[in-house]
Amino acid sequence: MNHRSRFVLYVLLLVASASYAQASNATLSIPATTSAINSSSPLSERVVHYEIEARYDAKTHTLDASEILTYHNLTGQAQDTFPFHLYLNGFQPNSTWVREARREGSRGEGFDRWDSQSYGAEEIKKFEVVDQGDLTSQLQFIHPDDDNKDDKTVVQVRLPKPIPADGYVQFKITWHDQFPKTVARTGWDRDAVLGGQWFPKIGVWWHGAWNCHQFHAYTEFFADFGVYDVKLTVPQNEVVGASGIETSIVKNSDGTKTVSYHGDDIHDFVWTASPHYRDYFDTFQSSMGPVRIRIMMQPAHWSQVGRHDHILKETMDRFERWYGPYPYKTITVVDPERGSESFGMEYPTFITAGTRWLEPDGLHFEVDETIEHEFGHQYWYGMVATNEFEDAWMDEGINQYTQDKVMSSIFGPSTSALDWWGVTGSEDGENIFFILGLADLDPIARNGWQYANSNTYGAITYGKTALVLRTLESIVGEDTMQQAMHTYFMRYRFTHPSKEDFLSNIEQVSGNNLRWYFNQAIYGTEVLDYGVWKVSSYPVDWYKEKLKEKKGQTEYVSNVWIQRKENFVTPIDVEIKFDNGEKVREHWDGQDRWVRYAYQKKAQVESVEVDPDHRYLFDRNNFNNSYLVKPKSSAAHKLENYWIFVSQFVAQFLAWWLV
Amino acid sequence: MDGRESLISAGASAATRNKRFIVWFFLLNLLLAWFGAAAFTANARSILDHSLYADKLLHGFDLAVFLEMIRRPEFGSARSSTAPSTLCAILFLLASLLFMPGVLLGYSSDHRISREEFFRACGHNLWRFVRLFVFYALIAGITAGILFGIQGALVTAVDDAANDDRLLFLTKALSIVAIFLISTAIRAWFDIAQTDAVLRDQTAVRRSITWAFRTTRRNIGSLLGTYILIAVLGLIVITAGIVIWHAIVPPSSVLGAFLVSQATLLLLLTMRFWQRASAVAFCVRQAADFVLPVREPASLEVLVISKS
Repeated sequence: MNHRSRFVLYVLLLVASASYAQASNATLSIPATTSAINSSSPLSERVVHYEIEARYDAKTHTLDASEILTYHNLTGQAQDTFPFHLYLNGFQPNSTWVREARREGSRGEGFDRWDSQSYGAEEIKKFEVVDQGDLTSQLQFIHPDDDNKDDKTVVQVRLPKPIPADGYVQFKITWHDQFPKTVARTGWDRDAVLGGQWFPKIGVWWHGAWNCHQFHAYTEFFADFGVYDVKLTVPQNEVVGASGIETSIVKNSDGTKTVSYHGDDIHDFVWTASPHYRDYFDTFQSSMGPVRIRIMMQPAHWSQVGRHDHILKETMDRFERWYGPYPYKTITVVDPERGSESFGMEYPTFITAGTRWLEPDGLHFEVDETIEHEFGHQYWYGMVATNEFEDAWMDEGINQYTQDKVMSSIFGPSTSALDWWGVTGSEDGENIFFILGLADLDPIARNGWQYANSNTYGAITYGKTALVLRTLESIVGEDTMQQAMHTYFMRYRFTHPSKEDFLSNIEQVSGNNLRWYFNQAIYGTEVLDYGVWKVSSYPVDWYKEKLKEKKGQTEYVSNVWIQRKENFVTPIDVEIKFDNGEKVREHWDGQDRWVRYAYQKKAQVESVEVDPDHRYLFDRNNFNNSYLVKPKSSAAHKLENYWIFVSQFVAQFLAWWLV
Repeated sequence: MDGRESLISAGASAATRNKRFIVWFFLLNLLLAWFGAAAFTANARSILDHSLYADKLLHGFDLAVFLEMIRRPEFGSARSSTAPSTLCAILFLLASLLFMPGVLLGYSSDHRISREEFFRACGHNLWRFVRLFVFYALIAGITAGILFGIQGALVTAVDDAANDDRLLFLTKALSIVAIFLISTAIRAWFDIAQTDAVLRDQTAVRRSITWAFRTTRRNIGSLLGTYILIAVLGLIVITAGIVIWHAIVPPSSVLGAFLVSQATLLLLLTMRFWQRASAVAFCVRQAADFVLPVREPASLEVLVISKS
């Protein structure tokens, strides 16, 4: 056979095999099921269908499982390379996750010393591609973010035959999990387990490339929408909860039971099991249909189930009215084991909270806020599925902003975070405290794993974003902002919007060009700090001897200096109050470093306030925003009294016990 | 002292007869705390006095605003505020050590002891009290270390095993109560030893400690009962004071808060002096050989006057 003949034969074989592949894959599809949603048709462009069968060994905290993953190639081009997340491999001493956590800390984990119970693993035993054979030996760990050769959280496979655009491919994967003692929202505590990020999950084709980042200490997740059918086999004494709806429970002869779940239009699947959970059920009436609320409480916390239910329903009500409907048929709230690292986490249709036996009602920043926040993620992450690796602020920060709104609406603006024994705290105040001292280290728009440290990640993605959006609300108007958020949700739900999608949506709805603001607040690290520099008033006739000043008769020259102390430039209002009660409002464009206002009146300046309507919430120093000419020491004396009381008490206590 | 009177009421009578001790100690406590707060106040005033934002602390107590204030660079370091207060608390501790012998002498007396007697007792017993303090610190410190170690291990074991946090709470609460009882018994033992050292004019403090140990052990029920009852009253006082402060005093009333807080602390201090007075009453009943202060005869005064 000459070269030409060989070539023709090769081409014919290739065409034949491709046709065969397409013909065989033509039978594949992603199911158009709707049993888990209050909709008669699918809500998302479904890319994946996971069919998982897993058996959990509660004694060894291990899991053996297999999945059939059907992937619909909607990338617009043929694909022969597919990356998968193996998140549980992040909990190994030399993984990128642990290295970053050791370097910067992560959610209470410092890793000063390695605890063998923190070990987690996700080991693929067999990797098969339907019609292409066993490719286990072809699997290759990749490290797209930091080139850490020891990191095994992303594995890639190259197929012998590419999958054409709009074609399907089916992966059959068998694997073994070792769960860690809860780290980063997954693992076991005592005899309970929370299975998060526990199965091989395919990456997302996004903006013309695979987006499948390694597991990092601060960042979360990103995945495509689809359908999940999961069968979990656990000991019969376990109470099981999971994403989606429960479809069946079968008791097995070996003392186990198999619980089946189905989820539509979700992009992740989590489950939990414990012999101790006590269930509470309720219903929330969404505009799309009834939502079954399931609250899985620790028995010791049962007295707080009403509180959990109340805050959840109040939150759902506001999200429904303000942003859009909740389309799923279930929402599960889990009260995890005491001291568990799995508290306060979101998964599709499933959230974890966390409380204590003695939990005062007024500490809203604990259980109430956690439930509100995690439910908010059903919208900002669950449905509006932003890239949590690259745009952490778009789920955490936007969610923090809506948390501020919802909590203020439920508990009042000044007591939304804390209202206990006369001590109060607002969500805004909490966020301001978050960003103090960290406001200029990182811009909001930054890859999650590239923040300076875990503190700036938390402060900027959560706190600063919320304050920037609250401030934006006062710039464009509260109603306009609410309309923009509603539009954003309705337009981008069940998609993966980018930061520009969010920002341009606000510009579009408000009809304003807000680039000047976004460039500084979102893309830049500019710090906002306007302050009253100095104030003076003196009589016009100051030079006259024996001048007698009379209130209301003597004329004064007054000067007020306002300073822009940092580099965030914005127009700002100033209010000057005179001692005859007169108030004057000035508007400064803020371009220069300072401005002076001069007045000649039969009154002296009593006080000056920059930003009197409190529109700019991320001002670094709120104390210098105003100046009272005559000092008022009452507040300081009140604190002094507290300080003296505590000092005396401590001294008495020491003397009581030691002398 | 009436031998049929209960320790509680005998202690109350002695403490009431000698109110001035409580008042002086209270004033010292207040004065030292006020000195200690000077740095904190100056730091706070530099930030708050000219700012309208301070209203959030005056008409309420916004925790975030308070935290924002103490994190301002111009507020200075936390150490600059806490160090003077800590020092003043230690000074109060030392003052208590110095003046307690005079107080004990006063409680043992059926009349108002003179200033000279008071200070003579203080000076005379200072070194004994220092030695008693060292013994107490050793015994109480070692005991507390062991007890807290056991408690820590117990709590960890329960925490690891039990899903129900009520059990953990119960474990913590019961172990704290046990530690409190044992610590109170040790405190009572050394209160008796101090009283013995003063009233018996005991040079060798180890004898006072030994005698006090035996006596306390023999009467542990009545003595511990008295101490615990008064301590529980102290707990009620501080709780009630804070409740009243919170419920009645408007947030912006600095004077109201000052009066309620100081009244609470005065009553709390009274409880400790009540315990002390009860310990003295107990000792006086136990030992007949105590040298109690006696009222000097009037003729002696005349004699003194005529001498001068």
